[in-house]
Amino acid sequence: MALHDIRLKVNGVEYTAQVEPRLLLVHLIRDVLGLTGTHIGCDTTHCGACTVLLNGEPVKSCTVLAVQADGGEVLTVEGLERDGQLHPIQEGFREEHGLQCGFCTPGMMMSAYALLQQNPNPTEEDIRFAISGNLCRCTGYVNIVKAIQYAARKLHPPQ
Amino acid sequence: MGVWYMPPFELVQPRDLDGALKHLADWATDTKILAGGTDLLPSMRQRLFEPRYLLAVGRLPELRGIAWEDDWVRIGAAETLNAVAEHPQLCQAFPALTEAAASVAAYNIRNMGTLGGNVCLDTRCHWYNQSYFWRKGIGFCLKKDGSVCHVAPGGRQCWAAYSGDTAAALVALEAQLRLVAPTGERLVPVREFFLNDGQRRFVLRPDEILTEVRIPQWMAGYQGRYFKYRIRQAVDYPLVGVAVLVRTSGPRVLDVRVGLTAVNPMPRYFDVPSEWLEDPPEAWVERVVEAVVRLARPLKTSLLVSPAYRQHLVRVFTRRGLRSLLALPTAA
Repeated sequence: MALHDIRLKVNGVEYTAQVEPRLLLVHLIRDVLGLTGTHIGCDTTHCGACTVLLNGEPVKSCTVLAVQADGGEVLTVEGLERDGQLHPIQEGFREEHGLQCGFCTPGMMMSAYALLQQNPNPTEEDIRFAISGNLCRCTGYVNIVKAIQYAARKLHPPQ
Repeated sequence: MGVWYMPPFELVQPRDLDGALKHLADWATDTKILAGGTDLLPSMRQRLFEPRYLLAVGRLPELRGIAWEDDWVRIGAAETLNAVAEHPQLCQAFPALTEAAASVAAYNIRNMGTLGGNVCLDTRCHWYNQSYFWRKGIGFCLKKDGSVCHVAPGGRQCWAAYSGDTAAALVALEAQLRLVAPTGERLVPVREFFLNDGQRRFVLRPDEILTEVRIPQWMAGYQGRYFKYRIRQAVDYPLVGVAVLVRTSGPRVLDVRVGLTAVNPMPRYFDVPSEWLEDPPEAWVERVVEAVVRLARPLKTSLLVSPAYRQHLVRVFTRRGLRSLLALPTAA
């Protein structure tokens, strides 16, 4: 099996790697780059725990080949924090108790991040639509929605 | 990784369509085409496919772009489902299509999944879309690795349900598909693309690539809606999908079409005969509903709800679509 040279930016850092074509993006991120914040939940493209941003759009990284991300930019949950300061989305999950077991949280936050990039003032319905590909088996979603609303307020305080 | 490991394959990444066709000229039957991968890659992990080659077409320029050209609206087959669902002019012109595209899987899947991939979606069945371990345990079915059908015991035909959402709209819209092979290309009406056979699925040959979906511009005058039933609204494939299209001029109803998916091995459609439309809608709405219900033959390809309930929902969705687009009072 021929190996492929790929180059991609993850959380602002350039990486090159030689990969088998069958290597999944989530395995590149976790096993090759050692960024284990991105979780593998269901392995079947259902749950969304593995959601990362690829070129600014949320995708399920257990269903993307690493070679499909060649030349692209990836943002994972590790890329949210800046200089030891939690991102407002991370802060929101803490302040609003937006998690119980926490397994879905990294993917949930990446979907929320993409939403707030595109829509700074989302309605509750916008939020629920944006996270519809991320399953949570603990919270019933109410506090996750509150956490994202918290982040939206913090990022764009009402005038 | 256990039973979920990805089987090995060689990846072919051509620069353009010609490069892709050169590969297919030699290796068509050993190749699966990779666009977004959201259908193919999980299926490969279930060992439903173990191709020697994956041919990556997602970045080919010939498969991209959304453009109004001559009498057609051309949508590149590798445009993502979100690109289609969020395209303002497409939403205006073909609301049934964009609603269907917006209903596929979830937002973070539609950023990879493509329109062409949704049209060419593999058929789905409870007994087929399972891991190798599971399928081996229960007894392989005739669609893959076995010789029996668990849905219709004794049968020789595969009844796996075609579950592409966008096809319900595309058959009603009389869309066409551009299929390109090393030996030349052909335009196939969507209405003639599918086969009522869960195994053979459609007329696309192994050496052909679906490069474009095109819709006649005159269909832009129709109102449309898409209705979908699935167990988990954000995740699952449809168990029923109904697209309803209506063209009116003042109080006059000029044309009515209904597209149907997820209840047969192929999408179906019903064009309302123009002579019915000479009467007021209340005289024929229920006749249309019953005609569409007769096209639906859901079987036990899903164990989550009964075929009878899916049939019932075909009736509900068709009626709901017709009555809302024709501004009729909601039926009691």
